[in-house]
Amino acid sequence: MKLYDSFRSALQSLIVNKLRSSLTMLGVIIGVASVIAMVAVGNGASQQVQSTILSLGSNLITVSPGNLTDQSLRGAGAQAQNLTLDDMRSLQAQLGPTIAAIHAEQGAGRWQVTAAGQNWNTNVNGVTEQYPVVRDWNMQSGDFFTESDMTINAQVAVIGSTTATNLFGEGDAVGQTLQLRQVFGGGAQGQGQQRARIVNFKIIGVLESKGSTFGFSRDDQVLVPITTAQRVLTGRLNVVNTIVVKATSSETMGETTADVTSVLLQRHKITDPVSADFTVTNQNDTLSALSAVTASFTLLLGAIGGISLLVGGIGIMNIMLVSVNERTREIGIRKAVGARRRDIMIQFLIESMALTGIGGVLGILLGWAITLAVSLIPQASGLVLLITAGTVIIAVGVSVAIGVVFGLYPAMRAARLHPIQALRYE
Amino acid sequence: MTVSGRAAVPYRHGPAAAPRPVVRVRGVTKTYRIGKDIEVRALAGVDLDIHAGEFVAIMGPSGSGKSTLMNVLGCLDVADGGTYELAGENVGRLSDDQLAAIRNKHIGFVFQTFNLLSRLNAVENVELPLVYGGDRHDRRARALAALGQVGLDDRVRHRPSELSGGQQQRVAIARALLTDPSMILADEPTGNLDSHSSAEILAIFQRLNEVGKTVVMVTHEPDVAAHCKRIVRMRDGVVAHDEPVLEPRRAEDEIASGIGGAD
Repeated sequence: MKLYDSFRSALQSLIVNKLRSSLTMLGVIIGVASVIAMVAVGNGASQQVQSTILSLGSNLITVSPGNLTDQSLRGAGAQAQNLTLDDMRSLQAQLGPTIAAIHAEQGAGRWQVTAAGQNWNTNVNGVTEQYPVVRDWNMQSGDFFTESDMTINAQVAVIGSTTATNLFGEGDAVGQTLQLRQVFGGGAQGQGQQRARIVNFKIIGVLESKGSTFGFSRDDQVLVPITTAQRVLTGRLNVVNTIVVKATSSETMGETTADVTSVLLQRHKITDPVSADFTVTNQNDTLSALSAVTASFTLLLGAIGGISLLVGGIGIMNIMLVSVNERTREIGIRKAVGARRRDIMIQFLIESMALTGIGGVLGILLGWAITLAVSLIPQASGLVLLITAGTVIIAVGVSVAIGVVFGLYPAMRAARLHPIQALRYE
Repeated sequence: MTVSGRAAVPYRHGPAAAPRPVVRVRGVTKTYRIGKDIEVRALAGVDLDIHAGEFVAIMGPSGSGKSTLMNVLGCLDVADGGTYELAGENVGRLSDDQLAAIRNKHIGFVFQTFNLLSRLNAVENVELPLVYGGDRHDRRARALAALGQVGLDDRVRHRPSELSGGQQQRVAIARALLTDPSMILADEPTGNLDSHSSAEILAIFQRLNEVGKTVVMVTHEPDVAAHCKRIVRMRDGVVAHDEPVLEPRRAEDEIASGIGGAD
């Protein structure tokens, strides 16, 4: 029997039993669609995590005070004040051209911001001049402050795009003055003696919008020279919260991490790296740890889809057995006119493969539609949903394979029928 | 053995011209086992020769073994003992697939219940044997020609459910003719038909036999068997009587004279 005839005959019998065929197919469709959609969501999530991390700037090595691996929790986390601006400057001097850029940061807390009659409350950070380079962050308008602004503790500020919009609307923020005020002393509102500190800053630049990272908007902040922040806003002289080094490339990150560590150990006069009073974090490590997490997440989602595909396959087997039973007489007739076992077997195999193959293709379309629908959900906005060629090939391949696996037993039963018994079957 | 008293019937292959028979059965036995211990001896040593161009009726009461003999002759079943040569080939020890090939090439079946595939139309049903053997390119043409031979030119696209019983049986005969088999094997071909349609089917068989086809027909109706040229009577698994029909009835005449009942 030629393959052409087998296909024709298989499609014909599927068309004759339209309702049954489509219900059987539904199992495969749902299975394939769920694999596609789940894996797409998984891939999309991992893509999003990666791009979020990279949007903080690429090839970053972060130095934070305190030793996170220290068992005794000595000077852990934010309390530790052993990283200084001098540390950062000497890293800059010693590592020189082996790094792309470096910056230090000191948080100045939340301040009431007033400008052009508008009031806003936001975070103020003291940073050094290479901040935009390290963070791959361009200016929307104006300029970032320079090293000389740091030297003279200039009261200049660069603000995020959200802050700019909130304070000035559509108007140009550059050149305007903003007022930072913080109320302290006293107790509850209206009681005791309250004093306010008010500092004026001239806005010299607005940063481009970058969107939010893990739910925090990074476009709502005020950046001032770190020296100004230390002297005028916080009073914590020389201390920094973080030093961030940007390596020249992803390949040099390991080397640069080692360099940063050894320079700081030397400066802090620590011989044993285990007892270092700072922690160096390599962005690559963070990325690979996270991608391991998202990969297993994707695998889990795929497995859930796979189970529904399996259930669909069992449905195929069931319906093929019913079909063989129903068509016993047809099998007898075909055998009487000369069909060999192989012919009958191929006919039924092709029928189950057509069921799963068509189901697979429809499943991909449905999966794609689901993916599209998911990406329209506001909570998932920005979640890039990835349907790769690999996913599609695997889904169709698996569904056709399921057609073979679950169609084989019924097809063999059909092929083994004795022609006389098959012909007599009522 | 010569066949009929009608010397005028022309033969393409007369028995004299072909000394080797199409069917040569010697001492064939077949025992069925029903349940654990009950054995039914359906064939108890059958000897039978059928030559090309013959028109043979196999008769006998229920349980006489005629259906079993029919299955063995049609290569649907294999005998336990004895030898069966079909067109010179010993088919006693062939595998399932080899038997399928023999059925495809040498045997055209016509069943009591027509056994057409309800999903296919007439011409597609007729094509079926060529689907399992032969080329695709001339399949449709040959099927249409076969339908023409049984007078169904105007019904080729009809499904079995849209055809009368007699028409369905004619489609089945066309299917049996398609591969130009050594033998047409008909199992109670008129059993489900009214007398008029029966006469038409018998007329077709007689016409085919006149142009040289070998036809073997299992029946229990003496009226039907009387249209054949030779009657083989089975009893208790053996051939009890084997005799020529001296004056076979002509189905054509019966249709013309309205004996078969008009519709």
